[in-house]
Amino acid sequence: MNSDPVRPIYDSELRPHPFVEEWLEIWRYRELVLMWAVRTIKIRYKRSVLGVLWTLIEPLMTMVILTVVFSSLFRFEVDGYPVYVLVGLTFFDFFRRGTTAMADEVLASQGLASKIHVPRSAFPVAAVVTYLINWLLALIPLAAIMIFLGRPFEMALVSLVPAIFVVCLFALGVGMLISTLAAFFPDVNLTYQVLLTAWMYATPIIYPITVVSEKHRHLLELNPLTHLLRLVRDPVYEGHVASPETWAIGTALGLVTLVAGWWTFTHWRDAFDYRV
Amino acid sequence: MTIASEGAERSGRVATEPAIEVSGVSVRYRLPDDRIVSFKEFVLRRVTGGVHYRDLWALHDLDLVVEPGEVFGIVGRNGSGKSTLLKVVSRVLRPTEGRVVVRGRVAPMLELGAGFHPDLTGRENVFLNGMILGYARTEIERLFDEVIAFAGLREFASVPIRNYSSGMLARLGFSVATLKRPDILILDEVLAVGDTRFQAKCMERIAGFRAAGTSVLLVSHDLETVGRQCDRAAWIEDGRLGAVGATGDVLERYRRAMAERGRD
Repeated sequence: MNSDPVRPIYDSELRPHPFVEEWLEIWRYRELVLMWAVRTIKIRYKRSVLGVLWTLIEPLMTMVILTVVFSSLFRFEVDGYPVYVLVGLTFFDFFRRGTTAMADEVLASQGLASKIHVPRSAFPVAAVVTYLINWLLALIPLAAIMIFLGRPFEMALVSLVPAIFVVCLFALGVGMLISTLAAFFPDVNLTYQVLLTAWMYATPIIYPITVVSEKHRHLLELNPLTHLLRLVRDPVYEGHVASPETWAIGTALGLVTLVAGWWTFTHWRDAFDYRV
Repeated sequence: MTIASEGAERSGRVATEPAIEVSGVSVRYRLPDDRIVSFKEFVLRRVTGGVHYRDLWALHDLDLVVEPGEVFGIVGRNGSGKSTLLKVVSRVLRPTEGRVVVRGRVAPMLELGAGFHPDLTGRENVFLNGMILGYARTEIERLFDEVIAFAGLREFASVPIRNYSSGMLARLGFSVATLKRPDILILDEVLAVGDTRFQAKCMERIAGFRAAGTSVLLVSHDLETVGRQCDRAAWIEDGRLGAVGATGDVLERYRRAMAERGRD
């Protein structure tokens, strides 16, 4: 049992800016982040009979219910509605659960983080990875439905990879902002849940954007999720890569939100430790 | 760190530098004057200029040096700042003022088995706990058999740990925490892990670490143990240094101060 050839040196005065330090630390602990994400999925299904299959069944059942409700009740003129709605639902499900779990993790890991040095962002970031895995698994029943309905699989589907990446940046940023607030004010998480419900209906997930009158459509364009959803839905449902304009807006939204969230989180991180 | 100092590290010339240097460290906790629970309330008060904090200094301008290979004891009453000092050294808290330099890998034994989950197997928990402690996956893989063997849990590695006894959990936690020799070992109270036989094994392992040059920072209420185990000690009172030096002298002054306080 030999110790490392080079002893690490911690000097409280030679620490980089928190914004940078947190990045370096999360990179150093990347194995933990990934393992923690997988752990969360394992734990959730460990005691259920069907296990991880639930990640596939859950979106499928929701989709069936919504398809039946919305295609018979509202009669949106949407061709292949199940595909349309399922892309949007899995997208929003990732966003909602990922950001919520981030805020929960910050509070849940409080005890651990006051005993052992772990980057504060490790558990929140792991939460997003957890729901990213969830989202990717949910694409399997989506593909099955596309085959069932005879929808074409276009080359444009490749653009899903960068699209999902951009959505992750945005979700991380929003999650960081929410978890910073939630760390100081316990009621933020509850308020956020209400906000999320409103946010879902303000995003063209279950309805096509055309049902909104032309006069009010620009309001939906103010919603970041409208653009991000397009990045994901266009290649799957429309069969073409989203427009360059959408890509520009989406990428900018993802990056700006992430930087803002990361800055806020790291700026307040130490103040949080000093609270008793 | 510059390349030059890294080279010096390797050649071992700096091995004589202190393992822990605490210079002029103060830590301030902030307590909101009255609980502000909602964001709305916070914003309203901010605007009207009414957010007040009560400052609580847990450490005041503290200086401390621990040499490599030394067993250093810390004594003091409850709430004197001992735990805060351990947190500052183990990087959990950054000092509000002053500077902390820690040379080498730290194994904090403030909590054994951090991140253990009852539904996961012993093996899965060893990896999670090990990664939380900062070990690389490959290191854990390489030393896994040794960890399980030391804890005496070979037949239980693939059993969910909710079926473990508390003694088994503690053994596993200790075994992961000490899977590699740290340069600095931080002990909060003396370990009471598992049965007497396993405790003897723990002590033997820690003695082995010490012989190989590990510094030990030991916080305890048990003055007997501190007197027996430590080369030097410090007495902390209200976040300030009461005394520091040879263990016997420090304990003597601490005992006298406590006795005087008892008389008042």
